[in-house]
Amino acid sequence: MKVLVTVKEVGEADDDFEIEGTDIASSDLEYDLNEWDDYAIEAAVQLAEAGIAEEVVAVTIGPERAEETIRMALAKGADRAVRVWDDAFEGTFADVSSKVDVFEAVVDEEEPELVLSGVQAADTAFGATGVALAERIGFDHAAVVNDLDLDADAGVANVHRELEGGIEELTEVDLPAVLTVQTGLNEPRYASLRGIRQAQRKEIAATDLADLGLTPADVESTLTLTEMYEPESDSDAELIEGDAGEAAGRLAEVLREKGVGA
Amino acid sequence: MTGARVGSALTDEQAAVRDLVREFAREEVRPGAREADAEGSFPEDVWDGLAELGLTGLTVPEAYGGSDADETTYAVVNEELAHGSLAVATALSVHCLVTSCLAEFATDTQRERWLPEMAEGRPVGAFCLSEPHAGSNPAGMSTTAEHDPDADEYVLNGEKQWITNGSRAGVAVVFAKVDPDDPDSITQFLVPADAAGFEVGPSEEKLGLRASDTTPIAFDDCRVPAANRLTEEGRGLSAALGTLTGGRIGIAAQAVGVAWAALEAATAYAEEREQFGEPLSEIQTIRHKLAEMSTDVAASRLLVREAARRAEAGEDARVAAAQAKYRASEAAMSVANEAVQIHGGYGYTVEYDVERFYRDAKVTEIYEGTTEIQKEVIARGLFDTR
Ligand SMILES: Cc1cc2nc3c(=O)[nH]c(=O)nc-3n(C[C@H](O)[C@H](O)[C@H](O)COP(=O)(O)OP(=O)(O)OC[C@H]3O[C@@H](n4cnc5c(N)ncnc54)[C@H](O)[C@@H]3O)c2cc1C
Repeated sequence: MKVLVTVKEVGEADDDFEIEGTDIASSDLEYDLNEWDDYAIEAAVQLAEAGIAEEVVAVTIGPERAEETIRMALAKGADRAVRVWDDAFEGTFADVSSKVDVFEAVVDEEEPELVLSGVQAADTAFGATGVALAERIGFDHAAVVNDLDLDADAGVANVHRELEGGIEELTEVDLPAVLTVQTGLNEPRYASLRGIRQAQRKEIAATDLADLGLTPADVESTLTLTEMYEPESDSDAELIEGDAGEAAGRLAEVLREKGVGA
Repeated sequence: MTGARVGSALTDEQAAVRDLVREFAREEVRPGAREADAEGSFPEDVWDGLAELGLTGLTVPEAYGGSDADETTYAVVNEELAHGSLAVATALSVHCLVTSCLAEFATDTQRERWLPEMAEGRPVGAFCLSEPHAGSNPAGMSTTAEHDPDADEYVLNGEKQWITNGSRAGVAVVFAKVDPDDPDSITQFLVPADAAGFEVGPSEEKLGLRASDTTPIAFDDCRVPAANRLTEEGRGLSAALGTLTGGRIGIAAQAVGVAWAALEAATAYAEEREQFGEPLSEIQTIRHKLAEMSTDVAASRLLVREAARRAEAGEDARVAAAQAKYRASEAAMSVANEAVQIHGGYGYTVEYDVERFYRDAKVTEIYEGTTEIQKEVIARGLFDTR
């Protein structure tokens, strides 16, 4: 089976950063592979190592700079990558549906049986792309997956989903499917020197909207970033002092004041 | 896309290796460095990690499962790893020195026997050149390897000193004279650590580099087959010159890694620590110290890169390697010293890493050729018509 993994390069801000217009100054950002996509890549590579996946393809929407990050996914074992970019994305804030437009076109082309996606992206944290894609392409899906056992013969993915309040759901998803991957699914590996060398020779297909049969109108975003600011924050932490008995007494008092266990 | 190297810049592949080792050093090496130093024990789990990344096969040919890294990659790995822990970086560089010697001088059968396993991390290699009475002047060594024609074996006798990986190693490259009376008869041998008469002494109690095991190794009628002679008789030192030059560049890169770690720690502390109502980083004396330290680190790194570039290009890199080693190790020492100074009393305690950097930095001025010997090599380059 072919596994498609959606990956994103995300910028992480330094402790101190400047805001330029509606973005954090690029000099204060460090770009890296989105944390959750790292788990998704690992899951796909493990499927390849188990002989279940024949090919692992990473797909990203990102400018040329993102290739460095995508190559890390290739170094960890993805077979090839597709990087979609277009002038139409330049300076815009893509919404979920325009990303789904792109990924839908890539899925049409690649025909994967399994799509793995990070549960969310560390920068925008929409947490919607994977499930919205499933809906669009008519695949079954499971979100927030933290355990995966894939029975390829039966065409079923047995998954654990992390729900609110520490509850886990054990469920079956029929293939083809989209799974969005949560922390804890696996322990992502480091790339190896050999992997890095091989990755230099692997294909990253630069693809634009026309290549996918799309037009800029298709991916027009309904979202515009109007402002970027750091929220004012003030803290009035109380440090509770005294021995255990006194501290516990004071803590109980505070909790009661705040309405806990009233 | 492959990003040809321009000046001191790295290729895309070299940069990817740098990023990988930087992350590994930050996540897996540095967190345990203080404890490993305090306990004087080598972090074997870190070594397993190095093996998984393929770093134990850094100087093993691809045909034997290694990655046959170029000099620049080798230097970058050493710098990044030493940024995490000098003890770990030193252990790896000695292992790599040994695989380099085997790759260059061993027979196909022996390469087949040792290199694939060493590329995968174990057996660990040791490099036995120094002796109790012959350090800067290895030609003065007294270890002998006499040929026994009946058994077609060499019989090693003597004592080696300061052997990194001494107690961890499973195989050693050993230098010995095949004729006790001929100073020009130094020859290189491959000796498995389980050979009878291979005796590992107790670890030295050292000022720094305490997580790395440094031991004496004695040879007491230690026999190896004649096929374990790696170089022609008398060619032990000269044949290894290229390998040793590469090793020197690696040590210089490690010194850069230590200096950089100390600079980073001092910069962070200067921002955090307040005196006279302002952070230390607002005081010009401190700012200028840090400016000097940062320039030292950058200059040393460039000397290392240039030496690596020469070695890669097949040029004579002996002087460049000696310059890099001399300059970078002095930078490590002075930057670590100033880093402790910037930390004040706190820097003098084990609460902060800078005291370890300070203790570790010192050895870079001593091993793989002392500063004085590096200067000799550089001066020879000035005056000799080589
Ligand atoms: C932690 C550690 C690990 C080591 N690991 C290894 C290893 O794995 N394998 C190995 O073979 N060796 C190893 N060494 C040995 C190291 O390479 C030697 O210590 C070094 O070469 C210096 O030799 P020495 O200690 O005998 O000092 P000496 O040679 O006795 O030097 C003493 C002093 O005299 C100076 N001096 C000597 N000759 C001259 C000269 N001609 N001109 C000017 N000054 C001179 C030296 O620079 C030094 O300052 C290690 C050493 C240490 C401390």
